Amino acid sequence: MASINFPAVSQVLPTTNTNATAASTAASGQKSFAAFLKDSLNEVNKAQNESDNLTTKLAKGEDVDLSQVMIASQKANITMQATIEIRNKAVEAYQEMMRMTV
Amino acid sequence: MSIFQGINTTGSALTAQRLRMDVISSNMANADSTRGKLVDGEWEPYKRKSVVLQAQEESTFASHLNAAKNVGNGVKVSKIVEDETPFELVYDPDNADANEDGYVQMPNVDPLREMVDLMSASRSYEANITVLNASKSMLMKTLEIGK
Amino acid sequence: MKLFSDTISTLENAINYSNIKQKVIAQNIANVDTPNYKAKDVTFKESLNNAIEAKKTDVRHIDFAGSNQTGNSTIVTKSSAAYNNSGNSVDVDKEMTELATNQIYYNALIDRISGKFTSLENVIKGGR
Repeated sequence: MASINFPAVSQVLPTTNTNATAASTAASGQKSFAAFLKDSLNEVNKAQNESDNLTTKLAKGEDVDLSQVMIASQKANITMQATIEIRNKAVEAYQEMMRMTV
Repeated sequence: MSIFQGINTTGSALTAQRLRMDVISSNMANADSTRGKLVDGEWEPYKRKSVVLQAQEESTFASHLNAAKNVGNGVKVSKIVEDETPFELVYDPDNADANEDGYVQMPNVDPLREMVDLMSASRSYEANITVLNASKSMLMKTLEIGK
Repeated sequence: MKLFSDTISTLENAINYSNIKQKVIAQNIANVDTPNYKAKDVTFKESLNNAIEAKKTDVRHIDFAGSNQTGNSTIVTKSSAAYNNSGNSVDVDKEMTELATNQIYYNALIDRISGKFTSLENVIKGGR
């Protein structure tokens, strides 16, 4: 019986290294998401401070335009909402993951 | 420059124009007053008064530093001056204030001129009221951002 | 994360310009009878919106000062002025038409920016 050349198993089946690489990309994905969330929180803080400053100036009758105050407070509000939604989605994704049966 | 700067400016203009109208009323009321003021024991007729308007510049430190941003703070009446045009002499020998020749010194108030002045003042007043309403409605509209 | 588009920055600049213009118009009309008063006007520098950014090739390079909130407009004296005999150059009819125009302009800007904020909110809330 002639020998049939089966290619080596390792050449046919992909190695299991992809799981490791997948994990590392997922991990680096997680890491950059954390940085992203942190940036978001910094922005929220900055926007809220800006809005508070302008509101204080408004209350004291100092040099400020009413439109600037309203726009800054809207921006702070929207930035805050955006960050909250991002957090919600992250938590939801985590809970989704936890619910998966192994 | 608070949020109400525009309204304060217009308020100052309304005050100034009203004062101008009051001075005009005083002139009209006294158009025939031969006894305005006691000067050296002699009665002098009423002298026509007028207002001097002056633009108010901003006086904050920041506005002096940056003249390009200096809007100004409205207008004020800097002083009320008396008109020095000579008095009119009217022949009226029976008048109590007639001099030896029978002439009476009448105030230097010209009613026509005062009426024109009054119309100008009241037009300016109305224009400023329109500005006030516009400024107020703009501020109210600003409060509705995001609603 | 850049939540607020360039349109919103443009609208902000325009709103600031309109605010200053309103104050200048108020000042001009307040001084319609003041002798020797010259009418003022506001310039609107459209080119400075966000365009000028420092090109940084190193982290130690310094930014140009960010466009501050009232930075783009300056107040000048109207050049085309004809004076009346008391030296006053305020044309009250022109000022009144500019007042009406500015009011409509301002209302339109406020409407637009309010609309943009509302739509941003809707997007963030996902239509809930």
